[in-house]
Amino acid sequence: MLVKLSDISIRNKLVLMQMFTSVLVLSIVFAVFVITDINSYKERKVKSVKSIAQVVGTNSISTLQFQDEDAAKEILSELHNVAPEIINAAILDKNGNLFASYNRPGSDTFIIPSNKNVGSSTFHDHSLLVNNPIVNENEIIGNVFLNVELNELQQIKKSKYEITAVLLIVALGFSFLIGAAVQPYISKRLLRLLKTMNEVTESGDYSKKISDDGKDEISVLIKVYNNLMLQVRKNQQKKDEFIGIASHEFKTPLTSIKGYLDLLDLMENDEGKKQLVGKAQRNVNKLEVLIKDLLDVSKIQSGQLELNMQRFNIDELIKETIAAFQMLSPTHHLILKNTSGEAFVYADKQRIEQVLINLLSNAIKYSPGEKEVIISYEKNDTDMIIKITDFGIGIAEEERLNIFERFYRTKDISVHISGFGLGLYICRDIIKRHNGKIWVETQGKGSSFYFTLPLKTKEPVLQQKV
Amino acid sequence: MKKILVVDDDLDILTLVKLALTMNGFTVEAISRWEEVNNSLINFGPDLVLLDVSLNGADGRDICRKIKETDNTKHIPVILFSANANMSSFVHDCHAESFIAKPFELSHLLGTINTYTYKQN
Repeated sequence: MLVKLSDISIRNKLVLMQMFTSVLVLSIVFAVFVITDINSYKERKVKSVKSIAQVVGTNSISTLQFQDEDAAKEILSELHNVAPEIINAAILDKNGNLFASYNRPGSDTFIIPSNKNVGSSTFHDHSLLVNNPIVNENEIIGNVFLNVELNELQQIKKSKYEITAVLLIVALGFSFLIGAAVQPYISKRLLRLLKTMNEVTESGDYSKKISDDGKDEISVLIKVYNNLMLQVRKNQQKKDEFIGIASHEFKTPLTSIKGYLDLLDLMENDEGKKQLVGKAQRNVNKLEVLIKDLLDVSKIQSGQLELNMQRFNIDELIKETIAAFQMLSPTHHLILKNTSGEAFVYADKQRIEQVLINLLSNAIKYSPGEKEVIISYEKNDTDMIIKITDFGIGIAEEERLNIFERFYRTKDISVHISGFGLGLYICRDIIKRHNGKIWVETQGKGSSFYFTLPLKTKEPVLQQKV
Repeated sequence: MKKILVVDDDLDILTLVKLALTMNGFTVEAISRWEEVNNSLINFGPDLVLLDVSLNGADGRDICRKIKETDNTKHIPVILFSANANMSSFVHDCHAESFIAKPFELSHLLGTINTYTYKQN
């Protein structure tokens, strides 16, 4: 099976590369050495066999001249003592007819090869065949065939291959060790960079610097990362300043408007005028919510949303929130079911109230007409689960995941709802910061929003500082 | 009649708070310059100080600390108010009694002030 190279970790790639390269280089080097070694052995062998053939030839000149086959045979049989590796030997006359032959005891009869190239030498699997001319006074009067056993060559080949194999295995082992020793300097630093980047992304704390005093590409990468983070921090600082200024600049005139409207409302007795003031007040409140939402989103994004954790009774908070809503929108019936009176959680009370307000106002907004909204909570071993169910228009399957995104508004054009689409995004962040979960379920008509808050059995360590 | 010293560099808010408190039976001295705080503390002798955090040229938290560190004034309750809701976490540090985020409901402002002036009795 083909493995995608990019799927292999850099750590393994480095080791593999190291091993592959050393094996390749060593294989080439060994091949060259083995081939030249064997070739030079062959050359030497041919030379020595030819010199034997020369001697045999010179000694046989007279036997050929006098057609003394017995003498020729005797010369050949001498080979048994001189060169025991010779299996077969033969002397041919100038017509190519066999004059005398010799077979080493225990070996097969020699068959004169058809190729009678004088002066040639041919290597077979286990033997070397030499055909040497017998020259007398510049005239070829016959030739000598010598068939030599080459067990030695096989042995040399075998031992060379063995040495090569052993050395390759040793080299493979060393290259693995070297690769494993070197790779931390590359992959470990990369992995550290990766880990820091992940941590930074999750925590939003961009002040983490990585120290690295090397000079290679990874050091450059780390330097670039550090510079980038510095840039991010600078931008974040600017943004923080902006949030600070914006909160002040938006909220100060809003405070005046809101306050004077409240004052007008208190001082005015004319019902008609009071109604007009009421309209203005409602819109100022809307504006206030929008500004708060926008600032909250800015805070979330720059990791500035802080929690004031405290232990409080969420049953009470739900009841208070319901009471406030009942005053504002008396058309809907907000019902708290399965109340046990006491349900303590450890959380930021104001932020959880914000989540409840968001979810309840959504439930009311998206279930026009006089409908019920049901709130309930239950405890399991680790979490408090709060559920808010409405019987309104519900949420389309494909929208269910998107509704928690920033600036997401329903695609359903039959619904005209005001707002930026930030409420659920803020809710999700608040709940996430509490290590809780938030999700929505739809059952035909209406939808149920759930959120969880982890229960703490321990007494709260922090008290709200107000 | 309880005396309230209000310090805020935004004149409209200053007037608003002064009106609302006066209507509810308080005697109010409203100043926009932090430099005058000391003077007012001595001459006006407030029962409670309502102090903006971001004043022009000064930090309300520092002024609050000073009030709480001075023997003659440390008994006076101080309520900080600010458009920056994060400031609520600094209330403890500068020994203020309470914090109100801007924009506020007048009823909430009055309620808080009533609580702390009532406590004094």
